[in-house]
Amino acid sequence: MIDVVINYFTQPWQTTILLCVVFACLSSGVLSPIVVSSRMAFFSDAVAHSTLAGVALGMLLGVGSPVTTMIAFAVIVALLIATLRQYTTLALDTLLGVAMAGSLAFGVLIYEKVRGYSDLHSYLFGSVSLLGTEDLVFLAANAVLALLMVGLFANKFLLVAVSRPLAQARGLPVARYEYLLIVVLGLVVAVGVRAVGLLLVNALLIVPAATSRNFSRSVAGMFWGSVAMALTAGLAGLFLSDWLDFAASPGIVAAAVILFLVSQLLRPLLGHQASE
Amino acid sequence: MADEPLLQLANVTVEAGGKALVRDVSFTLGRGEMIALIGPNGAGKTTLLRAILGTVRYRGKIAIGGRIGYVPQRLQYDRTLPMTVLEFMALTLQSSPVVFGIRRATRRRALELLEHVGATRLARSSLGGLSGGELQRVMLAGALHGAPELLLLDEPAAGVDMEGEATFLELIHKQVHERGATVVLVSHDLSVVSDITDRVICLNVDLKCEGKAKDLLTAERIAEVFGGHKAVYGHHHHH
Repeated sequence: MIDVVINYFTQPWQTTILLCVVFACLSSGVLSPIVVSSRMAFFSDAVAHSTLAGVALGMLLGVGSPVTTMIAFAVIVALLIATLRQYTTLALDTLLGVAMAGSLAFGVLIYEKVRGYSDLHSYLFGSVSLLGTEDLVFLAANAVLALLMVGLFANKFLLVAVSRPLAQARGLPVARYEYLLIVVLGLVVAVGVRAVGLLLVNALLIVPAATSRNFSRSVAGMFWGSVAMALTAGLAGLFLSDWLDFAASPGIVAAAVILFLVSQLLRPLLGHQASE
Repeated sequence: MADEPLLQLANVTVEAGGKALVRDVSFTLGRGEMIALIGPNGAGKTTLLRAILGTVRYRGKIAIGGRIGYVPQRLQYDRTLPMTVLEFMALTLQSSPVVFGIRRATRRRALELLEHVGATRLARSSLGGLSGGELQRVMLAGALHGAPELLLLDEPAAGVDMEGEATFLELIHKQVHERGATVVLVSHDLSVVSDITDRVICLNVDLKCEGKAKDLLTAERIAEVFGGHKAVYGHHHHH
């Protein structure tokens, strides 16, 4: 086990993978409290599913790199959902369900034609062992974007999360902030899916804050707890799955979920003595 | 009461889906005045407050001569969200993210505001664990930031026990007397407001009556405004 860990610090290609995982976990861990507090868990899920259609579309159109169409498509779907939510009476879960099913079906149809069914595997579960320098750049940019969002707007997002009417009454352009959050989530999810797969991106946007909520009494506690949980799950999952010869992405998700279950079990003990 | 009005509404109408929620309402409010806006449920009281706050579209004119502090009606919020009262206050008091820590100046200001409403001891409490009365006081403390000239209070008695309600109204009174704040108190409960307000405005989509509480509150008049809703005489306390 020790050898496995040491390799990640001595072998350059493995160090790249390690850094990719750290950045992916950092960006999700940082945004997770906002996603969970704003009840946008399913939203990020729907956007993540839409990225498949984006990639497929990019390949069909012969655009140089499918990353562009993937990000563009994710952001468009995100904005479409947000707009429909604002201007129709459709329930959000219905809307998300339709968007998710629709873009996934659409994506798989094209994908299959262009590239065959087998590649879908890496789309769902990522291919952590194949991560390279380009992914590292994207994921680092993702982490910077996520930190910037929190640094600049966390208070606003949290006020909206506590109460939308109150935020409105205090003069906050609530809809504008919601769109901003949606676009950024779309970006982060799209970049994340490409590197580490749909399953991991979604899990890491939801599970870390769900876990840290269980032992925090303050927003600051929930935030730092979420970052710590995401990083712990990322590193533990990466090392353990390498050691036990599993795929890394599901390993990381499993680690995150185990941490959640432990926090849920310990909740009665932790809840009352949590630090501020 | 100064000469220049603090709040002036002229023919304010708010419509939604072709239906008037508030129709052609006009009134003027002087500085340091405390009025009650009463009417049955669905009379458009909250909508009128929203028009004053500028969060709904309206026709007509609204002129406000100062900053507004607003205490919403029975705030619906995620009670499981881990957030201390201090953090909640800090969300609007500091621009740096609360998740990175509360600044010393913010903490001082938040405690000062909480002291105004006798809630310093709640600073470290969880927002989700507050009682109705405690939450109202924290909301009032938040609304007092920036020393607003106009306080809009939406059903401050809802969800609060008798004792909490009395404390809250006392606090409001203090704001009027010590700072010369102007207050609009929304209620569907006449008994709550009749003793402490200068003037009562009855709303049921249209403006139904306006005047001193004691002159206005005859049984016939109430029946007219509320359409025979006897309920307004009694307290509606949710324990």
